[in-house]
Amino acid sequence: MRKSVLFARQLGLPALLAAAPLALVALPNVALAAGPKNTTRAYADITVTGQVNDEKGEGLPGVTVIVKGTTNGASTDATGKFTLTVSSTATLVLSSVGYVSQEVAVAGHSTLTVQLKPTTQDLNEVVVTGYQTQKRADLTGAVSVVKTDEVKGMTSNNVVNNLQGRVPGVQITTDGSPSGNNTAVRIRGFGTLGNNDPLYVIDGIPTKTGINQINQNDIESIQVLKDASAASIYGSRAGNGVIIITTRKAKKGVTRVDFSTFLSAQTPGPHIKMLNTQDYGRIYWQAATNDGVTPNIPFYSYQSHQGPAGQPVLDAVVVPEFLDAAKTQRTADTDWFKETQQTAFTQQYNVNVSNGGEHGGVLFSLNYYKNTGTLKYTGAERWTGRLNSDYSLLGDHLKIGQNLTVSKLQEAQFDLNLIRDRSSQLLNIVPVHTVDGIGWGGPVNGIGDRDNPVRLLTDNQQNRSDLYRLFGNAFADAEIIKGLHLRTSFGVDYSLYKYNELYKTFTAGYLSNANNRVTNNESTFGNWVWQNTLNYDLTLGGGNHTLSVLLGNERISYNQEAFYASRTNFASQDPNYIVLDAGSANKDNGGSATSYRLASYFAKVNYAFKDRYLLSGTIRRDGSSRFGSDNQFGIFPAVSGGWRISEENFLKNNATFVSDLKLRAGWGQTGNQDIANYASRAVYQSSLGTLDPNFAYDIGTAYDIYGNDTNLPAGYRRVQQANPNLKWETTTQTNVGADFGFLGNKLTGSVDYFVKNSTDILVNLPYLGVVGEGGDKFVNGASIQNKGWEFLLGYQNTLANGLSFNITGNLATFRNKLTYLPAEVINAYGGNGQDVTRLGHSINATYGYVADGLYQTAAEVAGGPTQVGAAPGRIRYKDLNGDGKIDNFDQTWITEGIPNFNYGLNLGASWKGFDVQVFFQGVQGIYAYNNSKFRTDFSSLASGENWGARLLDAWSPTNTGSGIPAPTLVNSNNEGRASTYFVENASYLKLRNVQLGYNLPTSLVSKIRLQNVRIYVQGQNFLIAKSKQFTGPDPEVTNYQYPVPHVFTTGLNVSF
Amino acid sequence: MNLFKTSLLAVSLLTLGVSCNDKGFLDVNPTGALSDSQLNTPENIDKQVIAAYSQLGNDIYYVPYTSMWPYGNVRGGDAYKGGGGTADVDAFHFYETFSFNRVDISNTDEFWYRMYLSISRCNDALRRLNAVDATTMPTKAIRQGEVRFLRGHFYFLLKEMFKYVPYIDESLATEDYPNVSNRALSNDALWSKIADDFRAAVASLPADQSEIGRANKSAAQAYLAKTLLYQAYTQSDANAVTGIDASKLTEVNTLCDAVIASGKYQLHSDFATNFLTTGDNGVESVFAIQFSRNDGTPKGRTDRGNELNYPMNPDYGCCSFHQPSQNLINAFKTDATTGLPRFTDFNTSGDLVTASDFLATTVDPRVDHTVAVVGHPFKYSPTFVFDNSWVRVPGVYGYNLSMKESVLPTDPSFQKTPPFMSSSKNWAIIRYADVLLWKAEALIELNRSADALPLINQIRTRAQNSTGRLKQANGSAISNYKIGQYPTAGFTQAYAREALRFERRMEFAMEGCRFFDLVRWGIAGPYLNAYFAKEKNLRQYLSTANFTVGRDEYMPIPLNQINFSKGLYKQNNGW
Repeated sequence: MRKSVLFARQLGLPALLAAAPLALVALPNVALAAGPKNTTRAYADITVTGQVNDEKGEGLPGVTVIVKGTTNGASTDATGKFTLTVSSTATLVLSSVGYVSQEVAVAGHSTLTVQLKPTTQDLNEVVVTGYQTQKRADLTGAVSVVKTDEVKGMTSNNVVNNLQGRVPGVQITTDGSPSGNNTAVRIRGFGTLGNNDPLYVIDGIPTKTGINQINQNDIESIQVLKDASAASIYGSRAGNGVIIITTRKAKKGVTRVDFSTFLSAQTPGPHIKMLNTQDYGRIYWQAATNDGVTPNIPFYSYQSHQGPAGQPVLDAVVVPEFLDAAKTQRTADTDWFKETQQTAFTQQYNVNVSNGGEHGGVLFSLNYYKNTGTLKYTGAERWTGRLNSDYSLLGDHLKIGQNLTVSKLQEAQFDLNLIRDRSSQLLNIVPVHTVDGIGWGGPVNGIGDRDNPVRLLTDNQQNRSDLYRLFGNAFADAEIIKGLHLRTSFGVDYSLYKYNELYKTFTAGYLSNANNRVTNNESTFGNWVWQNTLNYDLTLGGGNHTLSVLLGNERISYNQEAFYASRTNFASQDPNYIVLDAGSANKDNGGSATSYRLASYFAKVNYAFKDRYLLSGTIRRDGSSRFGSDNQFGIFPAVSGGWRISEENFLKNNATFVSDLKLRAGWGQTGNQDIANYASRAVYQSSLGTLDPNFAYDIGTAYDIYGNDTNLPAGYRRVQQANPNLKWETTTQTNVGADFGFLGNKLTGSVDYFVKNSTDILVNLPYLGVVGEGGDKFVNGASIQNKGWEFLLGYQNTLANGLSFNITGNLATFRNKLTYLPAEVINAYGGNGQDVTRLGHSINATYGYVADGLYQTAAEVAGGPTQVGAAPGRIRYKDLNGDGKIDNFDQTWITEGIPNFNYGLNLGASWKGFDVQVFFQGVQGIYAYNNSKFRTDFSSLASGENWGARLLDAWSPTNTGSGIPAPTLVNSNNEGRASTYFVENASYLKLRNVQLGYNLPTSLVSKIRLQNVRIYVQGQNFLIAKSKQFTGPDPEVTNYQYPVPHVFTTGLNVSF
Repeated sequence: MNLFKTSLLAVSLLTLGVSCNDKGFLDVNPTGALSDSQLNTPENIDKQVIAAYSQLGNDIYYVPYTSMWPYGNVRGGDAYKGGGGTADVDAFHFYETFSFNRVDISNTDEFWYRMYLSISRCNDALRRLNAVDATTMPTKAIRQGEVRFLRGHFYFLLKEMFKYVPYIDESLATEDYPNVSNRALSNDALWSKIADDFRAAVASLPADQSEIGRANKSAAQAYLAKTLLYQAYTQSDANAVTGIDASKLTEVNTLCDAVIASGKYQLHSDFATNFLTTGDNGVESVFAIQFSRNDGTPKGRTDRGNELNYPMNPDYGCCSFHQPSQNLINAFKTDATTGLPRFTDFNTSGDLVTASDFLATTVDPRVDHTVAVVGHPFKYSPTFVFDNSWVRVPGVYGYNLSMKESVLPTDPSFQKTPPFMSSSKNWAIIRYADVLLWKAEALIELNRSADALPLINQIRTRAQNSTGRLKQANGSAISNYKIGQYPTAGFTQAYAREALRFERRMEFAMEGCRFFDLVRWGIAGPYLNAYFAKEKNLRQYLSTANFTVGRDEYMPIPLNQINFSKGLYKQNNGW
């Protein structure tokens, strides 16, 4: 009952949730774990009690301990202990996945302590490669394995965020969103023009979304299949690469409870700097004066005099006491960013109970995560529970089991763009509240119709959505004859989304809404997956030939249904009142449904000769309901080979520093079907009207033909044209690479070169205006090529004094260009409409004008080419074709938008229970289009809105050195046009993560009957180095993102 | 291998082999959608005609093609853009000042696309109507006439904006669209195509339609008259008026006579009725866009093209666009004795600005139906007095606002869609006054001025009688109204022409047609440059305004469309 007692003590921790089911699972653990220990009380020489620890001195469970030359053995228990009765002269072989095997002579000792060293690249490590597993040594494709150890304790809610910079060729962009849902993953560049997200395969179940609903603590391993030879087994959906996530299972003979928690404080990262109240008045005056008009803005008055040259000189900007005649809004100097942001707190509690028996195991976990968000009232909370279990029956010939996770994600529903936009738009002169401290400040005449962002957040705080998800599978695996496994798996991934929105009445300046509205939204969506596979592993020719064959099929059926209902005029806005029945007017509702299906067959053969020559081939045939009936099926083949040179005698004998060396080459095809569900069909739909027609065209088809406001008949509008020939987009990829390990695998690494050609890319293109409504049509259009290098290099060593350290660096490049465009759409991708097109340029490339500084004098303007709107202080555009006028034909490709390389560097060290980790990530040589300059550098591109503080240094006849155009109120020079003015070097290097941990000495923790206690502190995003040329606060952050926070974390992990 | 294992293997292979009807499994039909062929039933064809009608009012404030206010009024010297400053929807600022208008302004491209979107709905309906058997769809011919009327309307809008446009009808296959140049038809031939649609509509439409929103024969006759009137003024490639086609004018006169003779229409006794919800589908409405609210659609089918054109007071909120120019307001001055317009000196001195100015000078009553003035009741409500705080940036655009398109906040048609407003008040495409003045214009150009005189005076008489709602709270008249009729004496062709043009301006001020009138008459350039020369003293931002003759009569063909056509489309003169 030892563990149960402890467990009960743990329950005292306020952090633990839902204790009852945990206790239930914990109880049988005791009996199961006790079993094997008592079985070896038989005749033998001596009883050896051992303790196996890892490199940190932590007890290592599940280590296989075998008496050399016999089958006599045991596994270590959860604390790393084992007991074995052996001959006093025996030698023990200790092995465990991820660690270097070690032999220990018993030599008459009855107690032994052994420390196992980890391998950075254990060649025997099992890697999940799609419907099967392979030893790492046998891999022939480009597969990256992410060590979950390195990213544990990171505070993000999305495990993918933590991979940023750690895998060469995988580019991750993210922001500080509390629910972790704004993450984009790009594997080896941009391969398509639509959705570039990779396919995720979690315990064999494919999904494209919702990785932020997975509990990071549940993850055992993450593998990235980058090239086609590795990924093509996932055929139709693998065009953007595949990320395989395997969750933890109970280890045989291990009963263990892990508890972990962290608390972090997040401070909002930098944002663009706007003008304060005084300075806005000043710049407005300057802009009007520059335009030759009298500054006229209702809430500023000016004192000025004529300067010596007759020019007006501003003496003072006078701000009135109140903004409005009713004197409700006292003028202020509100920093809207500051008012909408806060220091956020993130906390996580995780309990993981695993119990591995002889014939099966159960793992159960519960996790709670909460992030209050650095924007007020935008926090998210997540609960996840997992139950993974498996049972072996019929003499271990039949294994059945399931992996199942349920999650609930509750998050604020708010318009992020709107909040960030308004924070930069609403003038600082507007107060947060009216003088009574209750009403809202808002725009008055002279200020644009931009709402108070604090009001938007506050009035929205009750609007939180709940997303429930059930994800998992049940499987049965029968070994029919030795090595032949038949496996069937039925998986589900279903979500229920519920969101009740209350739109409140308000008055903020001249903006107001007198009718509140409640809208209830509900949708269910998801798919089932049925997979059947046959795996046959056999060894022939006395072990010289190993062969594995996989055959399988898979069916996926996805359905989505949604509806909403709303009413207005609720007498109370109390959360308990706002059920739909309480609304008195404007009953409205709507709904939709959609579905798609996939049917697939696949086969794979792996062959190895003497573990030296490796060959692998796959083929997959996929059918998708999304394509034209003539082209529903696609076939995706791949072949790859490997040569383990290090196994050859000529190397073994002559170059002993080489521990491992393998050359790989692969070729294969993958597909993409990520388009609208009914993309191949001509579709007509009825539309009574548009839900929010304020900022979008009304596309309605109903008309009041009777002129009486009732019984409106409605017709149908064409939504898209048919394309019965629509077929798969295909990506063909060639990869060559090498894996190496030198000096006893202290120095390890890999190099890869790839060429990836995507053809028949699925696009829905802009079209000639005369085609009219629903001219949209999905076609197999462009071709894109990506090619690049990826390098990974690691060094690890342990010094005699016990200091162990490791350095891992990675660097990746890719180049991207469009290689083909169908004639009918060639101008839809930019260019001058005639001879210049996007061909040969990146799909991230920007076409535009070359800004050539500012015009300084009227004489310069007169002498320059004809440019509509040219004047001193205005941007001068280059007359590229030299025809004396600036027009459409003076544009060129001004940036490719692709970095020279991405890189990451991880430094780790540990010594006597202390461990430290430092991680840098960077992007080099990217010239990005800095959209925020639109806000920060111009007073003419947004009227009635705030402008950037950079304008204080704008050009004037007395400040001619400035590169910032003179303030003006009218954009006569069209300076918002795409030009090099906005292109800036956005390279950066960030200190992503610093972590310092300490494991309490085993001697100490064992006194309180714990196995392991680790405490750590961590900082994220503390330092950034960026190009001087970059004018924004952070190249990684645009004004429209959720602020990327600085994070400080303290954490605790306890195992018992 | 024992039997158990063998059978397991067999079962497993069978499971893998189940290609159990993949085709059937993958046959997933769209939900909530119909295929092209499903729309060919008479019921659905009828609905496709409705879809074409609904496009009449599917616009939005940045391309308001129902009221046409930026294109017809702001460009015509009758209105300033208004709003939050010159940069607020700056496309309209460039339209207003012409100097910095460009080929790549997205609002212009959007206008082009929205017109072809509307035309595509018409062509879709027509294609199906042409194919259906008249015995299964007895309304076939009538519906064909309606759709051709609608298509004529959309092409008319395109034509007056861009002059040269590709003409696409229902007989052309989609794959051939890219081969149709905007210069395939001459200026005149394009007008004829538009006229053909209206002729077909005249031929097949009944005199009366039981459903009020549908076009009838008179509406088609009126729109045909309008088209022929525009076509009658022949134009050079450089947009100069080169002559006037008397035979077209004669037909205009005949068509207007037919509308008049139908006896279905008359002028409302009060001019105001045209601009009130209660006047929807009244006797003066020849064809109007039917807006609706509380109609079972999510947010109503309301007038969104005008949604920026409301005052800034708390009852509305936003956005003070579409402000009458001082020149327009001054044009409402009348001669204190004759009550006739002051053709030559209305704008030389004494701007009408304050409420007292309107009492010190005699004015045409239509000014208080058209222009919101500080101190005057807004929209005929004596207790709802227009205040100087209701205007957004008076330093830039002055203190006046347009009223014809707006409704009171208490009106049942009023719809707030924060931050904007709209209403379900109908928008007239053709009102009867138009028919009378088209006829008058045709007669004058046919040198029959005497016959035109009573028509113009009919309009003025109605204006004269339209002061019943123009009262302050104390019952006194808002302004000093004086409006008289033109005497027969001295009503020469030249004088009549001036009178007609002035009358159109007063009657249809802020209704979206002024600029197109000026271009039709061939006087846009000199007229507008003269306007700028004076008006810039009041509105500094107009100091950069300049109309380039031979270019600015039309919008440029959008650069996007030229690029997408791979250079097939030719740019307009001067651009």
